[in-house]
Amino acid sequence: MKQVMMGLSKLMAALGGIVLSFLIVLTCVSIAGRLLNGLFHGSFMQSIAPGFSEWAIGAGVGPVNGDYELVEAGVAFAIFAFIPLCQITSSHASVDLFADFFPDWLDRLLRMLTEIVFAGVLILIAWRLYDGMISKQRYMETSFLLQFPVWWAYAASLFGAVVSAIVSCYVALVRVYEFVTRRGVLDNGVETN
Amino acid sequence: MTALEIGIYSFPALMILIFIRLPIGLAMFLVGLVGLILVTDGTNVAFSRLKNETYTTFSSYSLTIVPMFLLMGHFATLGGMSTALFKAAEGFLGHRRGGVAMAAIGACAGFGAICGSSLATAATMGRVALPELKQYGYAGGFSTATLAAGGTLGILIPPSVVLVIYAILTEQNIAKLFLAAFIPGILAAIGYVIAISVYVRLHPEAAGTRPPVPMRDRFVALIDVWPVLLVFGLVVGGIYMGWFTPTEGAAVGAAGTGLIALLNGGLTWRTLSESFMVTAKSTAMIFFIVLGAAFYNGFLALTQVPQELSNYVVSQGFSPLTVLSLILVFYLVFGCLMDSLSMILLTIPIFFPVISVLDFGMSAEHVAIWFGILVLIVVEVGLITPPVGMNLFIINSMDPKTPIIETYKAVMYFVGTDIIRVILLVAFPAITLFLLPG
Amino acid sequence: QEVTLKLHQFLPAQANVPKLVLDVWADNVEKASDGRIKVDRYPSMQLGGKPPELMDQAIDGVADIVWTVVGYTPGRFPTTEVFELPFMMTNARAVSRAYWEMFEKHMKDDEFRDVHILGTWVHGPGMIHTKDPVEKPEDLQGMKIRGGSRSVNSLLTKLGATPVGMPVPAVSEGLSKGVIDGTTIPWEVTTALKVPELVGNHTEFTGKALYVLTFVLAMNKDKYESLPDDLKKVIDDNSGLEFSVFAGGTQADSDGPARQVAVDRGNNIITISEADTEEWRKLSQPIYDEWVEDMNKRGKDGQALLDEARMLIDKYTE
Ligand code: NA
Ligand code: NA
Repeated sequence: MKQVMMGLSKLMAALGGIVLSFLIVLTCVSIAGRLLNGLFHGSFMQSIAPGFSEWAIGAGVGPVNGDYELVEAGVAFAIFAFIPLCQITSSHASVDLFADFFPDWLDRLLRMLTEIVFAGVLILIAWRLYDGMISKQRYMETSFLLQFPVWWAYAASLFGAVVSAIVSCYVALVRVYEFVTRRGVLDNGVETN
Repeated sequence: MTALEIGIYSFPALMILIFIRLPIGLAMFLVGLVGLILVTDGTNVAFSRLKNETYTTFSSYSLTIVPMFLLMGHFATLGGMSTALFKAAEGFLGHRRGGVAMAAIGACAGFGAICGSSLATAATMGRVALPELKQYGYAGGFSTATLAAGGTLGILIPPSVVLVIYAILTEQNIAKLFLAAFIPGILAAIGYVIAISVYVRLHPEAAGTRPPVPMRDRFVALIDVWPVLLVFGLVVGGIYMGWFTPTEGAAVGAAGTGLIALLNGGLTWRTLSESFMVTAKSTAMIFFIVLGAAFYNGFLALTQVPQELSNYVVSQGFSPLTVLSLILVFYLVFGCLMDSLSMILLTIPIFFPVISVLDFGMSAEHVAIWFGILVLIVVEVGLITPPVGMNLFIINSMDPKTPIIETYKAVMYFVGTDIIRVILLVAFPAITLFLLPG
Repeated sequence: QEVTLKLHQFLPAQANVPKLVLDVWADNVEKASDGRIKVDRYPSMQLGGKPPELMDQAIDGVADIVWTVVGYTPGRFPTTEVFELPFMMTNARAVSRAYWEMFEKHMKDDEFRDVHILGTWVHGPGMIHTKDPVEKPEDLQGMKIRGGSRSVNSLLTKLGATPVGMPVPAVSEGLSKGVIDGTTIPWEVTTALKVPELVGNHTEFTGKALYVLTFVLAMNKDKYESLPDDLKKVIDDNSGLEFSVFAGGTQADSDGPARQVAVDRGNNIITISEADTEEWRKLSQPIYDEWVEDMNKRGKDGQALLDEARMLIDKYTE
C-alpha cells in the first residue's frame, strides 16, 4: 500500500513537473514571438527585408495567444498535483519547537489528529472545488482570450485535488495505525528534500 | 461574542495550533474556516468561498512565478553553477584567515542572484561548501553558521520569492522591490564577511589555513562563472528593463538554467525527475501557506481587526518611528519561532495598513518599498535566530557531528551584523531607495 | 442599526467609482434608513478572492453587495455584451439608461436571476492611447495593444494588431517598458495610470465610441428578500434606472479633467470624424455577426437584441 500511494504521489508530482516545464517553454516561445513580431514590424526589418517580414508576420510570428491564461490554468493543476507528495512526505512547514519535548504518546497522538484534520480539509477542498466546477459549467463561463470553458481548468485541478484527498486519507490512516501499534510506518518529515 | 472579539481570539488559537506542530498553512486555514463559520453564523460563506478560492489562489498569475523560480534554482545546481561560484570565490579568498568561509558567503551571494529561495540557497551551498570547510579544518559550528547565514542571501539578493509575495500583498511593483533589495543584499554579504573576520580573530582555532591558489588558476575558475552572470543579467535585468513580466523572467531563467544544465550533462531523466520532486514539495508547501493565509486574512478583514488596529495606532499618536520599530522587533521575536513566508502572509495584511497611514516624510510608494525591504530583512534574520531557524536546521542536518548548540553560538555573530544593518537602513532610508527612478 | 450590508469590490477606496458612486449610494441608503441600515465597505478585495469571484460572492452571500465588471466572467452574461460591441456606445448616461431598460426586459429573470441587481451602467467612451499615432485602421497593424473587452480584442486582431491580455494596473509598466505599444481605456483611468506621460497619441471617435465595459451593482437575493418592507423600499428608492444613469454619468464626468491633463501636456489628440468612424464601424461587422450567432446558439434572438439596443441608445442619445 505504501508503495502504491508513494508511487501515485510521485507520478502526480512528475505530471505537475511536466506541465510546469511545458508552460515554461510556452512562455519562452511567446516572449520570442513577441520580440520577433516587434522586430519584423520595426523600421529596420521593414526596410531591409520587407517581404520576409510580412511573410513572417503572416505566418503567425507573434506572442502565443492567451499564454497567460494557459499558464494560470496549468500552474493551478501543477500545484494540486504537487500536494500528494507533500502530504505523504510530511513536507509542510511547521514549528517543531515545543512538540520536540512532548512524550512519545502525545507526539503520536498529535500527529494522528493533525493528519485526520488535514485529510478532512483536503476532502472539503475537493468537494467545494467540485461544486465550483459545476457552477462554472452551468454558467458556461469562458476564459477571456482563448474562450475555453473555465470548468475544464477546474476539472484538471479537481483531479489533483481528489488524489490529494485520497493520499491524505491514507496518511491519516497510517498515523492512526502508528498511534495504536506504536510502530513507525511513514517518515515524520525530517528529510529536507 | 462580537466579530471583533472572535478576530482577536483567533490569534492565540492560531498560536496554540502552530505550537502543537500543526502545519502553519493548515493552522491558518482551520482558524480562518472556524472563524468564518462563527462570524457569519453558518458554513455558507466559508463553503461558498471555497468553491473558487483554491483554484483562483493557485492560478494567480503573479504567483505562478514561485514554482518557476524554484525549478530555476535546482537547474542552476544541476548545471554546476553553485560549484563554479564556490571554486571561483575560493580561489581568490581561500588562503586568508577564514577565507574559505568568506568564499562560501561570496558563493551564496552569487547563487542568491539566480535563486529565489533561502532554504534552497542554504541547502545547495551547504552541499558544495560544507565538505571543503571540513577539509581545511574549519570548526563545525562556525561552518554551519556561516552557511545558514549565507543562505539568507538567497532571499535578500533578488530574485526573491518572499519579495514577490510582499509585492502582491501590498500591490507594489515587483521590479522596483527587486531593485531596492539590491544594495541591502550586498550590505548583508559584506556584513557576513566582517562577522567571519571578527569570529576568526576571537576564535583563531576555528579556522584552518590553506595555501594560495596560483593567480592564473583563479582567473580560469572565474571564467566558469559566466552562466551565472548571464542568467542573472537576463532574468533580473530583463524584468527590470521590462523585456518581460516577472513570471516570464522566471520562465526564461528556468529555461536558461535548464539548457545550461543539459549542455553540461547535469540534466538527465533522473536528475530532472528529482528536481520535479523537490520542486513539488516546496511548491505545495508554499501554496498551502498562501491559501491558508488568504483564507485567514479574509476572515480577519470581516472581523475588522486590521481596521481597528490601525485606527487605534493613529488615535494613540505614536511617532511613526516608534510604530515601525515595534513592528520590526515583533518580527525579530516571532522570527525565532516561525518561517519567513508564513510571517509575511500572516502579518502584512495587518501591519501594512497601519504603516501606510503614518507619515514618514516619503511618498506612499517609497514607504511601502522601504518597509518591505526592512520586513524582508528581519524575517530573514528569523531564519537564523535560535531556537527555530529553518536555515540552521537544514545546514545542521547536513552535518550530524556538529551539535545544534555549536551552530547557535556561532550564528550570533552573523545575527549581530544583521541587526546593525537593520538599524542603518531604518536610520537612512536612502540606502534602500536611492537606486529607484524618480 | 438593524441591518449591516457588506459591500465588496476590487478597487481601492479612494478610486473614482468607490468614492464618487458607491460611497454616495451607501451614504444615501444609510441616511434614508435613519441609520437602520449600515453599509460596511470592503475595498480592494479585502474579503478575499479575486475580482472574477465577485459575482459568485454576491450570489452565494459571501458579500451582501458587490460592484463588478460583467466581463470578468466572460460567457456568463452574454446579453450585456451587446453594449460592449465596438461602436455601439454614444454617451454613458444614454447607454446606462438603455442598459437598464434591456436589463429589466431581457436579463433580470434570465441571466441575472440568481442576484438582485441594483444598478447597471457603463463607463465613458473607450478609446485608444498609443505611442505612434492611429488615424486609420491600418495604423494599428503590428501594434501590441491591451484590449479592454472581448469584442475589442477580436476587432484588434481583425485590424492586424496583437491584443495583449493584461490587467489594468499593469498597463503603466507595460507601456513604459514596451511590452505593449498602446492600450484601450476611457480617459478617466488615464490619470491614475500616468498614460499621458507614457504615450503621445490619443484617438477619440466622434459619435460612437470604440467600446465600453458594462458594470453591475449586485445584491444577494436572500439578503434583499430578508429585509422588512420599509427597508426594501429604501434600497429600491436608491437603485434602478436613476441610480444607473447617475453612476454611468458620474464615472464619465471624470473623463473631462483627465483629457485636460493630456491636452495640457501638448499630447496629440486625434479625433476621428463621424464619417471616418463609420468606416471603422463597417470593419466591425464580423464582430456583430459573431455575437448574433453566439446569441442564436444560446436560444436567443441575437439580431433582435442588437437592433433593440441600437434603437434604445439612439432614443436616449440627444
Ligand atoms: Na535571490
Ligand atoms: Na528563527
